[in-house]
Amino acid sequence: MIAEFITIPGIILILGALVLPLIPEKLRSSVFLIFPIAALVVVFGRPDGYEVTGSLAGLELVLMQVDALSRLFGIIFAATALIAGIYAWHIRDLGQQIAALVYAGSAIGVTYAGDFFTLLVYWELMAISSTWLVWARRTPESDGAGMRYLIFHVLGGGILLAGILWHLATTGSIAVTTFSDFESTAAVLILIGVAINAAVIPLHVWLPDAYPKATITGAVFMSAFTTKSAVYVLLRVFPGWELLTWFGAAMAIYGVLYAVICKDMREILAYHIVSQVGFMVAGIGIGTEMALNGSAAHAYSHILYKSLMFMGAGAVLYATGTTKLVDLGGLKNKMRWTMILYMVGAFSISGLPLFNGFISKAMTVDAAGYAGNETAMLMLILAGVGTFLSVGLKLPYFTWFDKEDTDIEVKPLPFNMYIAMGIAAFLCIFYGLFPNTLYIYLPFETDYQPFTVYHFVEITQIALLTFAGFWLYRKKLGGERIIALDFDWFYRKPAPFFRRIFVNAIDNLFDIIQITVHAFAIRISGQFDNPMKWLNPFGRKDHNAQTYSPPMDVVMAFVLFVVIVLGVFLIF
Amino acid sequence: MKNWQWIALGILFLITLILEFTVLADYDSHWWNAVPAFYALWGFLSCLAIIYVAKFISNNLVKRDPDYYDR
Repeated sequence: MIAEFITIPGIILILGALVLPLIPEKLRSSVFLIFPIAALVVVFGRPDGYEVTGSLAGLELVLMQVDALSRLFGIIFAATALIAGIYAWHIRDLGQQIAALVYAGSAIGVTYAGDFFTLLVYWELMAISSTWLVWARRTPESDGAGMRYLIFHVLGGGILLAGILWHLATTGSIAVTTFSDFESTAAVLILIGVAINAAVIPLHVWLPDAYPKATITGAVFMSAFTTKSAVYVLLRVFPGWELLTWFGAAMAIYGVLYAVICKDMREILAYHIVSQVGFMVAGIGIGTEMALNGSAAHAYSHILYKSLMFMGAGAVLYATGTTKLVDLGGLKNKMRWTMILYMVGAFSISGLPLFNGFISKAMTVDAAGYAGNETAMLMLILAGVGTFLSVGLKLPYFTWFDKEDTDIEVKPLPFNMYIAMGIAAFLCIFYGLFPNTLYIYLPFETDYQPFTVYHFVEITQIALLTFAGFWLYRKKLGGERIIALDFDWFYRKPAPFFRRIFVNAIDNLFDIIQITVHAFAIRISGQFDNPMKWLNPFGRKDHNAQTYSPPMDVVMAFVLFVVIVLGVFLIF
Repeated sequence: MKNWQWIALGILFLITLILEFTVLADYDSHWWNAVPAFYALWGFLSCLAIIYVAKFISNNLVKRDPDYYDR
């Protein structure tokens, strides 16, 4: 039992986080890598149908349950934890390392959870540990963003818990099941809780708020786990909810519009996650076998190239100290390798042939068409154009090109950063060349063939003309020193007002009460520091208790007082 | 962009057009397959639409100074 428990892949990483503080600092980053590798080995070793169960307070818990879908996400989560761990190898910050391990472990935990309670525990662990990756940057901006991030996720977790409890109360079961379209209120509550983590608009604002302010390495972890574990839950619990198709297509377009508006590398990439998750959510909404396969494959590919791009942006931040496009440009000679590796990610995400975005994005988009939803298909293609435009052309152009040279000082990168980016880039190309190595792990069997003349013509024409459009209008897209408002305006702008009413006003009230009580106490103690003043009205008024104490006077006064009181009692 | 790069891209575009009108001449799975060079048109128009819509939203609605929330 114990052996089964500690070899649950998620638990391996979380136990690793407990072991890590005991390791000498110099070895910690290397030991960190052992746990994702161990998890990866276990993930590949567990067959379909493998289960670890337990019970708590009369509830049957399924701590681990393996099928094709959970294995697919388990593989990519463990692999990303390893790659991001290599990227963060030079870091000497125990807090971040522990947070990253717990975060990765709980994301893997979610993918293997067979019941909703286990899932919820991992879900909350994920929220808390990832918040630390924002706070670890230790700037005033990251403090605020981290707090907003945490509040948002605690809210999401609360709604999820409410849905789970409601589900338990009405059905008596907490097993993770598939809900049919708008089956019950409980299902809708669970959907809202999960949608917050999946960054479904308008619940997405925590993502572009927090990710650009996280630490360089923290953002790489974050780009992989939170949204994609939510995609996993959507895939398992809500396939075929038609509403998701339209939310997904809207997200895909919304995300790229903001990616075009924003002027900061990591902000652009963060908004672009919203867009990419939109593709997956749309596929889940369509709900055919091909669409679900497409969503799952796209999540897998996306984690690889998006973490690669966040690593590239992080490298620029590490080397130059900024990610603002307005301050960058002309880095092509000074950061050539980072550019090349980033561009592998950019070509992948844009779905160009021979890169891994091509093999999964085409599948999702085609699935929309095969399911007869041509409107959704055209929306997704439009979002694909925006993808290439924003993260494939605009971002690299204004970072590495635009000017011939730059006088920005460029710090050399730690070599481990190149290794991590190299592995991710290799995998992007590998899966792009050999799509079947991914397809065999998909939840449904497929004989999908991405390399067709039609796809080649489609994607090449789109990419070429998008490039032409970008080249003509690139001056409109240049860097500016701005921020873009989003739905978070609705709570960030009134926040000072509400703080005045609910925090400052209450504070002031307590202040007033405290001051009044204190003043009263001072008065009383002033009266009692020399009781003779009022016990003996005929004595001197300038007695000072600190220099002169009239013991006899006091005793006599009390005797007199007692006599009077007794006399009063005797008379009446 | 150097001239030869533009020429290379132009040749690539020509190849896609040739393939579209030969290999894919009878291909018909969506209504837009009847429109010649549809994906090129859709790509270009989408690109312009995204740039202009994004610019419009940015200028009229969401663009602010970086210290907007701190004031």
